[in-house]
Amino acid sequence: MQQQSAIQAEEAEKIPFVGDKEPLSSLAAEYKAGGSPVLLEKIKILSEQYAAIRRTRGDGNCFFRSFMFAYLEHILESQDRAEVDRVRANVEECRRTLQKLGYPEFTFEDFFALFLEQLESVIQGSEASISDEELVKRSRDQSVSDYVVMFFRFVTSGEIRKRSEFFEPFILGLTSASVEQFCKSAVEPMGEESDHVHITALSDALGVPIRVVYLDRSSCDNGSVSVNHHDFTPVAGNNNSGGSEAVNPFITLLYRPGHYDILYPK
Amino acid sequence: MTSPSPSSRKSLSKIACNRLQKELVEWELNPPAGFKHKVTDNLQRWVIEVNGAPGTLYAGETYQLQVDFPEHYPMEAPQVIFIPPAPLHPHIYSNGHICLDILYDSWSPAMTVSSICISILSMLSSSPAKQRPADNDRYVKNCRNGRSPKETRWWFHDDKV
Repeated sequence: MQQQSAIQAEEAEKIPFVGDKEPLSSLAAEYKAGGSPVLLEKIKILSEQYAAIRRTRGDGNCFFRSFMFAYLEHILESQDRAEVDRVRANVEECRRTLQKLGYPEFTFEDFFALFLEQLESVIQGSEASISDEELVKRSRDQSVSDYVVMFFRFVTSGEIRKRSEFFEPFILGLTSASVEQFCKSAVEPMGEESDHVHITALSDALGVPIRVVYLDRSSCDNGSVSVNHHDFTPVAGNNNSGGSEAVNPFITLLYRPGHYDILYPK
Repeated sequence: MTSPSPSSRKSLSKIACNRLQKELVEWELNPPAGFKHKVTDNLQRWVIEVNGAPGTLYAGETYQLQVDFPEHYPMEAPQVIFIPPAPLHPHIYSNGHICLDILYDSWSPAMTVSSICISILSMLSSSPAKQRPADNDRYVKNCRNGRSPKETRWWFHDDKV
């Protein structure tokens, strides 16, 4: 077990926190040798809708890291100032949530400041503005990347605790831990993997819809193959969220059991 | 973990330094009950006096914790040990190393020196017997070269004590 996790850690180091954008054919190439017909069929279906994949390191932070990059890249490309203002308001709400929950300000303020700084820098036209290239560079720099991941962990934990009655049944489905224990042991420490609970909470807290496309070996009883996805749509009622009307998520992640990467639609 | 060697020997990053200064101010305003920070001019190593809680096996006893902060605190956990003589406890080795998950794998930047102290006091207070861990001698012998407890692969199998 220990040896296995050491090997996994070593393998993970070979992939940068956030990789380069690769054509979707690189995903198929991964399975050519192993040759699962179901997977290859599903990747073919995916390639009708998606053009590219960007891999992230499998270090337990891959969901948050993928979300970070996909979100900031979206803002960089869209220059959607209304979205930036909206998310900033949600971030301030998250700050108040943590304060109300009794987190000392000094434990989270540096992480909030670093995220807001990145958000500011992807908006063009100021001295602090950065290019797509620089965004990739920062996302690979531990001193930025890990701080933003930790910012999302604070936001996620705050949302789960704030709405503990809502999240409790989902958490009980995963572990026997209480909501508080779950946040302390499965959300707040770096490297703890994310589940649908984390994704729901982050999406709700920031008011950002997230599409997760599932790639696994499952197929229908009649042998037909389709690719499932799930849209995490922020709940209405959280201030400044998009509401629960059908919104088209601008963040799409590819989930393979145990790991998230970023997908790019055609 | 990510740091193979005791990174506490490297000096604190700017972020770590700022954070620790804020923690120190907060501690002075609102110290956890039963603890006393011994003031020095060394921000990177705190020595904290622990008083056993009344009504527990350690009532009336005083111990000293040594907290060393790594370069990338709080992303990396501090190294926390008892300065020998360490309290007799099933999770505390005679060299002062403490078997407590939040000091290693379960560390999170959301924690603070103060929250660590509270966890350690609660661990002491719930002790059923004053005794060393079963593998004390073997473990302490293995640490003779000055190994940090952060380099130990800990197994946290008992959450009752």
